[in-house]
Amino acid sequence: MAEQAQGSSVGRAGTAGGRRSDIRSVLLGAGLAVVVLAVAPFVLDTYTVNILIRALLLAALALTVDILWGYTGILTFGQSAFFGIGAYACALIFTHAGFGAGWALAALAIGVLSAMAVGALVGWLAFYHGASPLYASIVTLALPIVLTQVVFAGGRFTGSSSGLSGFPTYYWSIEIWFWIAGGFLVLVTGLAWLFVRSDMGRVLIAIRENETRCAYLGIPVPRIKILLMAAAGGIGSIAGFGYAAFTNVVAPELTGFLLGTELLIWVALGGRGTLIGPVIGAMGIDLTSSYLSGSLPFYWKLLVGIAFVAVIVALPQGLMPIVTNLWRRLFAGSRRGRETITLAGVSSRSARERADRPLVVHGVERHFGSLNVLQGIDFEANEGELLSLVGPNGAGKTTLIRCLADGFERSGGEVTIFGQALGRWPPDRCVALGIGRKFQAANVFATLTVAECLRVARYRLERPSPWAREMVLRLPEAALRIVEETGLAAALDTEARHLSHGQKQALELAMVLALEPRIVLLDEPTAGLTRVERERIGSILTSLTERERLSILLVEHDLDFVREISSRVIVLHQGKIVLDGSVQEVIESDLVREIYAGSAQPGEEGPA
Amino acid sequence: MSGDRPVLEIQGLTSGYDEAIVVRGVSLSVAPGEIVALLGKNGMGKSTLLKTTMGFLPAREGRVVIQGQDVTGGPPHRIARNAISYTPQEQAIFQDLTVAENLRLGHPRSTWYDEELERIGTVFPFLRERVKQRAGTLSGGEQKMLLIARALMARPKLMLVDEITEGLQPSIIQRLAAALGGERERTGVSMLLVEQNVHFALSVADRWAVLKLGEIDDAGASDEPRVAARIADHLSV
Amino acid sequence: MGVLLLDIVTTAAILFAVATGLMIILGVMKLINFAHGAFLTIGGYAAFVATALGWNPWLAIPFAALVGFLLGLVVELAIVRPLYTRPLDAILATWGLGIIIGQLITIGFGREVQFVQTPMTGAIDFLGQSYSTYRLVLIPLSAVIGIALTSLLYFTRFGLNARAVIMNEDLARGLGIDSTAVRLLTFGLGAALATMAGALITPLISVDPNLGLPWLVNSFMLVLVSGVSIPGLMMASLILGGAQVVVSTYVSPILGGLTIVVLAAFILRIRPRGLFGG
Repeated sequence: MAEQAQGSSVGRAGTAGGRRSDIRSVLLGAGLAVVVLAVAPFVLDTYTVNILIRALLLAALALTVDILWGYTGILTFGQSAFFGIGAYACALIFTHAGFGAGWALAALAIGVLSAMAVGALVGWLAFYHGASPLYASIVTLALPIVLTQVVFAGGRFTGSSSGLSGFPTYYWSIEIWFWIAGGFLVLVTGLAWLFVRSDMGRVLIAIRENETRCAYLGIPVPRIKILLMAAAGGIGSIAGFGYAAFTNVVAPELTGFLLGTELLIWVALGGRGTLIGPVIGAMGIDLTSSYLSGSLPFYWKLLVGIAFVAVIVALPQGLMPIVTNLWRRLFAGSRRGRETITLAGVSSRSARERADRPLVVHGVERHFGSLNVLQGIDFEANEGELLSLVGPNGAGKTTLIRCLADGFERSGGEVTIFGQALGRWPPDRCVALGIGRKFQAANVFATLTVAECLRVARYRLERPSPWAREMVLRLPEAALRIVEETGLAAALDTEARHLSHGQKQALELAMVLALEPRIVLLDEPTAGLTRVERERIGSILTSLTERERLSILLVEHDLDFVREISSRVIVLHQGKIVLDGSVQEVIESDLVREIYAGSAQPGEEGPA
Repeated sequence: MSGDRPVLEIQGLTSGYDEAIVVRGVSLSVAPGEIVALLGKNGMGKSTLLKTTMGFLPAREGRVVIQGQDVTGGPPHRIARNAISYTPQEQAIFQDLTVAENLRLGHPRSTWYDEELERIGTVFPFLRERVKQRAGTLSGGEQKMLLIARALMARPKLMLVDEITEGLQPSIIQRLAAALGGERERTGVSMLLVEQNVHFALSVADRWAVLKLGEIDDAGASDEPRVAARIADHLSV
Repeated sequence: MGVLLLDIVTTAAILFAVATGLMIILGVMKLINFAHGAFLTIGGYAAFVATALGWNPWLAIPFAALVGFLLGLVVELAIVRPLYTRPLDAILATWGLGIIIGQLITIGFGREVQFVQTPMTGAIDFLGQSYSTYRLVLIPLSAVIGIALTSLLYFTRFGLNARAVIMNEDLARGLGIDSTAVRLLTFGLGAALATMAGALITPLISVDPNLGLPWLVNSFMLVLVSGVSIPGLMMASLILGGAQVVVSTYVSPILGGLTIVVLAAFILRIRPRGLFGG
């Protein structure tokens, strides 16, 4: 496998550049959509056009839910709130302040800015290091409830429960409104399409797949989510503004929790994480509801409810994937050609030696309730050192590793990286100090390709574009070597979940090395690997310490492996360091033998 | 029940986590009243073998037969109800439950709780006085004794015990060895002990096997000459 | 002042009774049952049916519980069981179930508001002011629910198994506990508690197909703030329910309706595991 990969010479692009985006297909799609929109009002009856306008605007709102939930994994119940903010901004200003082009623009701007501010506030509240995904849902659930009550409390100013209506607006023909709403949806969909297919879009999926891994790749997940929430709020607000300006009516239901959950239903049925699915879902269901609300209102809603539950239980990806699969099967030839990613080397920018010691650990403690997992841990790590942490199960090895890469983990003591005290820094800031952590179980982004996983790992050093894809993957020498030697280079466009266990481990190691770290924390990198794979990882690790002068901290069960590659060994037992010395010292230590083989070693013959 | 049919028969078992294969084609059997020790360093697949036997992990290949019945693949609670008690290595105790509740959980229906508690009180007298204490407040050694006591509550035919001696003082290890040996004398229970403590393992078990990288590397009887040194060789750093 | 105090205590009692079903399901199954509101509604309609059939209004309460229990078993088997590994999807699926239940009720009983016969009418004089007897009776009734639930969890084998499953499911399974069965029964129990609570509150409010909805979010917040424990839920109901009564009385009833949600959102930001959670 390895020879094969080495043999197939991987092209290393010397030239920079090579960005690609879907701008052409988006323009083509948008063009088609515009043609359909242009013709539609002349083909359809007025009633249909009328309700389609509402459906188009709600579809744009559903699209923001898809970005947040389908792509990024934030289950939001509150997207309706932003729609409501935009709608009420329009209604309130037209009713109380004035009407005209200037007022309209002002209302739109106020709506968008307030919605973005509220979105940022919600994001600030909901997204912080260590927040549970459930808490975000709780906050987004509270938001529309609060807003609805605020509208109720507004008395005659907001129209309370009956809302506002009859305020002046533009009485344009229905076709114009239809084209505005349709144009807006096409624009939003096109931009969203470019965004989710860009390198930044991959980062969103990476956050959904494994937020912890993202944080340990130095990606500021909370900030990204807050920005996303604000942007989604702004777009939702524009849709709401359009709705109010067109219908001339606003009511508290527009900001409500029920509309928020309906959006989720549309997105789930259409297919989360597909953009087109939610648009079709929103329009289809809203349109049908309007038609059937007269004849079979309850039965229709019942049917939607049943379909929703069935889809969540049995088809979590919604209906869109079924359509696309069918499309692919029928028109297999029309599938897009695979884009070839070229690998390129990049010289590590942090390679210079620094004055301070890479890692100083002083008095580190960790308690879980009354349980002391670590007590008084003191040690230092030097450049070019491969330091192994060994000890029986439950000795506190993994806990110690955690304390080195996340300032929130320690109960006491201090960790200093190149002279900088860690304090209470979250993992993404620790990464910036030069720490790279590989987890025990292979932690990769299952639905991203190998190249995308590595690209996401480069986030901190090469900010991904929000609308295009980079065709050249620049990696530092060490990461490149792993990619080439373990057969990953030949599998750049394979989704990570299809890799073998050994390749997943190698990919995660390559992702960590792509961060250009100075200190690498490895938690059992060889668990479950074959002998050959172990040896290869071992030789890569030794060359990293010798050639690039990295400090590597290795937690390992396999003592043979430790013996072969370590330059120093620390033995942990019951949360304390019992020995810190050379490999030889550890092998010859009676204490270590006792810890490993049980207290009473037979005296008849010493081990070889 | 019947004659010499093994209580536990593991046939060509292969298993692991996700794509990582940790146990490779292991075969092993435990006869009625027999105690077998499974030795090996950390990460060699010992615990995985027990977890697969109990149905917590699916078997990729091979079978687990308990008293003639194929139980491969679980579910764990059904396997446990064949009078099998399983004592995992980590998080084996309900820290926030009392000693009494932990003991009661030893058997799915706590039918013979009072009777068994009486008897277990003779093996580990301290437990009788401290039934109302929260299990998490017991010392490490006391918790391990509680684990064995809970396993005995099931009136098991087979005990699967994962590294009961880890981190214990020699005196407590001796008490555990005595308790396990005594229980076998009294009830004829079979045991499969996963161990790293060679001395303890050889003092309790009739047979032993060493697991290395998921395969049985060496095996034999406990009373063979120089056996301790032979095993220590396998376990040394 | 006296009335305010009674309002606080009775409100807390009602909130506690309404939230227990949600809590037991979250505690044992780690599952947020967004059909809880719909289960409350079913309880209300069960009471409506019972009294419409001419039964003693007190009988409506156990009847509602029975309906809820059976329904809970069916729902667990059909919808909840496949979703244990997808907790956020379970929220959505149970929400969808709530829609289905709401529509079925609308189809069966119509959209209009119905009134249920009250088991007790009249008022009692308290410090010179009269106070609804039924509201007062809800205090001991909620206490009974709390005590019964505590006894079930702490003095029965089912409770021991359930707590074992909460603390360490794999260990419990290894000891022969059928955690699947524990979950099934727990969901049935949680649904029964919800429908019973629905029947309990209907004499105070009218019955309509969306009866449960406003209670769902408040219950959810209270359960999270409680740290998922029975005494914690009592305290959370008293504190947040009390705040709600005070805000409604002295500031505005509309803001009062927000008190629990807003306070809970901030409390959970500071203490993610709730006020009384570990």
